[in-house]
Amino acid sequence: MSGYWARRTGSALLVLGLVLVLNFVLFRMMPGDPVASIIDPNFSPEAKARLSEVYGLDQSLPVQFLRYVRSTLTFDFGISFLTGRPVMEELKSRLPNTVVLLGTSLVLSSLLGTWLGMKAARKRGSLLEKCVLWSGALSFSFPSFFVQLVLLMAFAAALPLFPLRGTLSVPPPAEGLPLLLDYLWHMALPVFSLVLLGFGGWALYVRNLMVKILGEDFILLARARGLPERNIILGHAFRTLLPPLLTIFLLSLPGIVSGAVITETVFSLHGVGRFLLEAVTGHDYPAAGASFFLLALLTVSCNLLSDLLYGLTDPRVRMERGGGR
Amino acid sequence: MKGLLKRWSFWCLLGLAALALFGTRLFDALPEAEVAAPFSKPLWLDRSLPPTMDLELSGGHPAVELDWTFSAPSRFSLRVETALPAPSRFVEWTLPGGKTFRLTPLNGGVELDGRDMAFKRSLGLPPFGDASSALFPERGTYRIGLTGEGEWEGSVKIRLEGGRWGLLGTDQRGRDIAALFVAGIRVSLLVGIFATLLATFLGTSLGLAAGYRGGWTDAVIMRTVDLLLSIPLLPILMALAALWGKGLWQLILILSVFSWMGTARTVRALTLTLRDAQYIEDLRGLGAPASYILRRHLLPETLPVLLATMTLGVPGAILSEAGLSFLGLSDPRVISWGRMLHEAQSFGAFTAGAWWMLLPPGLGIALLCLVFLDLGKYLEERVDPRLRGGNVL
Repeated sequence: MSGYWARRTGSALLVLGLVLVLNFVLFRMMPGDPVASIIDPNFSPEAKARLSEVYGLDQSLPVQFLRYVRSTLTFDFGISFLTGRPVMEELKSRLPNTVVLLGTSLVLSSLLGTWLGMKAARKRGSLLEKCVLWSGALSFSFPSFFVQLVLLMAFAAALPLFPLRGTLSVPPPAEGLPLLLDYLWHMALPVFSLVLLGFGGWALYVRNLMVKILGEDFILLARARGLPERNIILGHAFRTLLPPLLTIFLLSLPGIVSGAVITETVFSLHGVGRFLLEAVTGHDYPAAGASFFLLALLTVSCNLLSDLLYGLTDPRVRMERGGGR
Repeated sequence: MKGLLKRWSFWCLLGLAALALFGTRLFDALPEAEVAAPFSKPLWLDRSLPPTMDLELSGGHPAVELDWTFSAPSRFSLRVETALPAPSRFVEWTLPGGKTFRLTPLNGGVELDGRDMAFKRSLGLPPFGDASSALFPERGTYRIGLTGEGEWEGSVKIRLEGGRWGLLGTDQRGRDIAALFVAGIRVSLLVGIFATLLATFLGTSLGLAAGYRGGWTDAVIMRTVDLLLSIPLLPILMALAALWGKGLWQLILILSVFSWMGTARTVRALTLTLRDAQYIEDLRGLGAPASYILRRHLLPETLPVLLATMTLGVPGAILSEAGLSFLGLSDPRVISWGRMLHEAQSFGAFTAGAWWMLLPPGLGIALLCLVFLDLGKYLEERVDPRLRGGNVL
């Protein structure tokens, strides 16, 4: 049994190691002279060399890589080329926003989607089922940023119910309750948009799985035994639904984290995703590398967590030999 | 194949492809051309705003009457082109009340603009604002004509820039959104189809190799698939797009390199079940080389499934391309639907309330994705009839 946990943790660490390599290769290969973006062209060559030295850009690539790994593992990401402040400080102020945005919307959309999907599966051919099927198809074909832009246009520009941009008003209100309310007011539309975009896919998956499960023999047996419907759905069917649901959650995680870049850009939120976009377009290696690493870390740790939950919900996977999922 | 002719998506795709090929010919100007005032509304939207108009006067057609039921246009400009200057003849502007302005003598090379100080002074107007508000003070019938009699070789071109233009209005630079929309179909179709083709090719070869060879090949390929499926890909795509230049073909290559994983998994699973089938084993016993078995037997077996997964993969590529373009990571010279949304967001569509800049590209992307999803469903049902009736579309 401990072998399962060890294998999962091991593969998560391996992924993280590969992310480090990828990260280094990608962001060191970015074009443009990074030093050129932070200094005046009138600087003397000595001053430029000095700056290269400060940022460690004069070393050979392997040395740079080792330094990079060491500093990344200690969460010391260096100094941003663009803002001149330590990257870690920049990220620390942004990470909570990203986590709140993704976490809240994920929980809400999965709850709503699961509820709707289960209802739809029990009422085949109903209007609700048609709605679920359509919302699933639409959520796979509408670009997220388009839906978000339309929401922004409708509920922030045309009807000024919500703010057009940002995570807090400028200047922010006083500490305490007003601050919290202001924050919630700013986050409402982004979270709503992500729920709107996300629940359709969930509902469709849950409905498809549930339809299959409800056709199984053990459900028929439970019905024959005269168990109450509530008991059958929650106790028998839902229990069987959980493991595949976790798999889907696992597979959708990277996409959800990628979605943070777009959502934060549309709503101009103070988050890691938008920071990453700014860093990539501004050739800011340390910032880009650190934000990507953080997003990957977020994905891998959620991945690991749901893997472990998977092991808890489905005893069969703990027994399985080899690494295959 | 008769069923295909009954699907709405097939006809829709045919129509879109025709628009992509020949659609640009529907418009007089190139999609990049600035044809009207920025943020002009669509013609059918706000009837109190004047549409953008071009008037032309010449010797044979010396006067125009305008039934004006709108507010004043936002800009006025006039050009005289002639080889025979006639300094004693004028362009005369008659208001509904009978008041007249003599705008300019018919000399060659005259170019007047409503914002021009000297022009406003010569009409006796205050130097502020555009002359068009004085030239169009009220609703009624305006008469614009040439004074004097006799032959005159030349033309007077008047342009009144209003707040409305074309079928879908204009964007922040005054480009026709309908023309941009049609030009954008091409990019979405190209990227969607070619990126998926390349990805399918990659996925099929790797999946066949992993499934048939097994062992280390299988382990390496499938671990790579697991890795690529468990990290957020958009940041990598962003970095590569910024690194590699933003050309269309680079984008296609980048997208396909990161979207072959699903195909590889499907093909590998299929190959695994086929590998130990009796007839494949017989072929091996007869001494057939692996390349022959793969090419002549395994690949054809997987083809129908591949066709369906490929079609279902197109929306993903289209959405990724649109996403990267929306983030500003595409070639600014290439018109695409994602780029249009990027420009709408970055260049003030919100402050202008220009919702007509958002809807066409966004709905276009969604429509194209739905078309491919529906076609994919159709192909999937052909391959596996058990799936029939499962879903909408």
